[in-house]
Amino acid sequence: MPEMLPKYVKLGYQYPVDHILTFLFIPIMAAVSIQILKLGPEEILTIWNSLHFDFVQILCSSFLVTLIATVYFMSKPRSIYLVDYACYKPPITSRVPFSTFMEHSRLILKDNPKSVEFQMRILERSGLGEETSLPPAIHYIPPNPTMEAARGEAEAVIFSAIDSLMQKTSIKPKDIDILIVNCSLFSPTPSLSAMVVNKYKLRSNIKSFNLSGMGCSAGLISIDLARDLLQVHPNSNALVVSTEIITPNYYQGSERAMLLPNCLFRMGGAAILLSNKRGDRNRAKYKLVHVVRTHKGADDKAYKCVYEQEDPQGKVGINLSKDLMIIAGEALKSNITTIGPLVLPASEQLLFLFTLIGRKIFNPKWKPYIPDFKQAFEHFCIHAGGRAVIDELQKNLQLSAEHVEASRMTLHRFGNTSSSSLWYELSYIEAKGRMKNGDRIWQIAFGSGFKCNSAVWKCNRRIKTPNNGPWQDCIDRYPVHIPEIVKL
Amino acid sequence: MVSSMAEGLIYDIKLSSVGPGTVTEPDMVHEPSDMDLAMKLHYLKVIYYFGKQAFEGLTTLKIKEPLFMVLNYFPVICGRFRRAESGRPYIKCNDCGVRFIEAKCEKTMDEWLEMTKENASLEKYLTPNQIIGPELGFSPTVLLQYTKFKCGGMSVGLSWAHVLGDAFSAAEFLNQLGKVVAGEKPNRPINLAHLKTKSTNSGSPLTNMEDPLSVKRVGPVGDNWMTVNNCKMEAFSFSVNATQLSHLQSKISSNGTDFSPFEALSAVIWQCIAKIRRESEPKVVTICKGMEQNKADGNNQLISVVKAAYPIVEANPGDLAVLMKNAALDQREKIENAIEKDNGVSDFIVYGANLTFTNLEEAKLYEFDYRGEKPSYVSYRVDGVGDEGAVLVLPGPPKNGGRTVMAILPENEVTELKSELKTEWFMI
Repeated sequence: MPEMLPKYVKLGYQYPVDHILTFLFIPIMAAVSIQILKLGPEEILTIWNSLHFDFVQILCSSFLVTLIATVYFMSKPRSIYLVDYACYKPPITSRVPFSTFMEHSRLILKDNPKSVEFQMRILERSGLGEETSLPPAIHYIPPNPTMEAARGEAEAVIFSAIDSLMQKTSIKPKDIDILIVNCSLFSPTPSLSAMVVNKYKLRSNIKSFNLSGMGCSAGLISIDLARDLLQVHPNSNALVVSTEIITPNYYQGSERAMLLPNCLFRMGGAAILLSNKRGDRNRAKYKLVHVVRTHKGADDKAYKCVYEQEDPQGKVGINLSKDLMIIAGEALKSNITTIGPLVLPASEQLLFLFTLIGRKIFNPKWKPYIPDFKQAFEHFCIHAGGRAVIDELQKNLQLSAEHVEASRMTLHRFGNTSSSSLWYELSYIEAKGRMKNGDRIWQIAFGSGFKCNSAVWKCNRRIKTPNNGPWQDCIDRYPVHIPEIVKL
Repeated sequence: MVSSMAEGLIYDIKLSSVGPGTVTEPDMVHEPSDMDLAMKLHYLKVIYYFGKQAFEGLTTLKIKEPLFMVLNYFPVICGRFRRAESGRPYIKCNDCGVRFIEAKCEKTMDEWLEMTKENASLEKYLTPNQIIGPELGFSPTVLLQYTKFKCGGMSVGLSWAHVLGDAFSAAEFLNQLGKVVAGEKPNRPINLAHLKTKSTNSGSPLTNMEDPLSVKRVGPVGDNWMTVNNCKMEAFSFSVNATQLSHLQSKISSNGTDFSPFEALSAVIWQCIAKIRRESEPKVVTICKGMEQNKADGNNQLISVVKAAYPIVEANPGDLAVLMKNAALDQREKIENAIEKDNGVSDFIVYGANLTFTNLEEAKLYEFDYRGEKPSYVSYRVDGVGDEGAVLVLPGPPKNGGRTVMAILPENEVTELKSELKTEWFMI
């Protein structure tokens, strides 16, 4: 079995297979060179003269070469670069320690002690820390979610992230060509993207989009949309804003399955600047390599596993089904099947193929080979949906604790910030100084639908440890050990 | 918390919490001392009345922000009570925070102050009235209520559990808040709590000792930390300006001994109450005084008793004042022994065990400065006073220089005391 081979035997297999072209090329070149050298200089000159170079032939050949080259370069997709991104840092006034959350819960749900008990157990095992944030309206007993408060939260989060991004990239509002805002559960009229256009006085011919209802994986859907638009529009840039507005969606009832999001979802947001401009090539932090989207909505169970509905008392909340982890695992498998061939080195793909053939033909009892994605990527950003998600993915992809550290620490410090969590995780890796030029990053997001979306980035330049950003004042305290159960 | 009678008066009430802005280290605890536990059934209620300028233009978030910052320096008041295995209460510094209440009043501040002159009990609508319990772990020890009046003025109502500290600690907290609002840093170390140590059980406690005179054993109240009275207690306050005060002091002084305003006022009131109570006149009174030197948090008051060997009614107030000045017996060690006997589990009251006189003259109540504005008036009360009653002597508003006296007595005694003070002593 492949996983039982000693390490060096595996390396001995991987190196030649991954670099097979080089390995084939070298002997051939060597053979040709030896032949040429055996001939001697006069022989070479004779062969050269016998080629009868004709002017027309040369012209046609070079014309053909130029044509092929032009067609190749024109049809190559534009490179999309991530110039920079900024994450929202909530103020200290939004902080929610465990004890405050539980005390408020107890007061709000005083007629439902079982629900309060349930919330306490979830919180103890959640993997969240004591510094996560909720918006001001939710700090009230009982919460006070007005539309005005929701807009207030949206403005605070989105404008703060965009201001930070503009300062980092020195971009002017008038230069933004494409604007995409994604926020799943809050969708006012005029839209949040219109709110951004209004605040920053963006151009009247801006291409703006507002994606709502698409869940926690909407961040990568926005990146995918931006990429497609940037293929069509040359010399442009795109501002992508990913966030989730908590205020209007805090569940006010007492059904246990619907109280879970209250315990995990927290305030957060990110603004990202993508560009296909030649001038940004050198200053961009990352290059977008692949985006792979997998939608399992055709399956009824997957479709219903994250479902917004009214509880028996008429209170609206999001119901998470018990099969969530199983469905997530299936969605991940689907996604991996598509992304594997794109990113895995030849050695891993061959091993997978052999094991697959072996299972089909020789012995179905052979364990399926899980490709080693650590060969394809240096960094992993797994959506911090909850501790269970990260545990499951760590197990499925056989990742070490350091690979999932960014995800776990983001969950601890910021909670589940939905679509923007991937950007907090990337920011963590940069803040720790671990990002090197040429590193490959895999962002994986899950969301209602049920969707599993992946994005692959490559680090484009040397990244200095940033001196601003959401982790600035606390990075030295991380990583922390997160106990299985926190005693409240 | 607010009865339906005053529903129109105080309205638009919103509850939330404010905690420390930065995380307190995990597993920090604070173990209240014996003196602290003796006071656990009492609550200090202070109302600071501010004019329009202090809070003008401030949103709720702007009012909360300095609190988040100052609470970094007070991890103990943000914690919650737990009980150790022995049953002794301690505070877990879990950042839960203080309760923050916003309210509006339909009267202007002047109208309100007029109303409270007639009916001092109305003031209880300006302070939160939650006790610690029935769930210790979910009861805030400090609550703040910001009430906005029709004229734009704001009252800051503080409810402070006496187990945390005496009036001087409570005043210190708000004074530090004022500093933070002004942009200064509080001059306190950040973390005063310590890791829990093994509880030092003091071997064989003196089980035969009687309870000291200054405390009364009550309950057991379990986890409901409130005093149960046999009669309804009523609070009323009156001011004594500087002239009246010096007049009183000279009237009482005998043999050239000078008495402080506190001693003079207490002696006079002691005699008035003795007259009212006739047969059950208070022969023993408790005196509480702040200790100048001890600036630490917690309960550091000097608690002493004074015993009169003769009937009070006929006594000369000057003699009573002399007794208070010279014959006070320090009760602190005895109180600590009484608490230690069963490791802090039993319940006691101090205020109201006997008629209690508390000297808060030195309390820095008027130093709470909000954006350059000092309070126009500070009203003070203690909740959970026992049946014998309590009298607090507070500093008066700085421009008057006199004193404010707050008396908490059984309601049937209040009218008599008012008339007695009016006719005999020309106060009120």
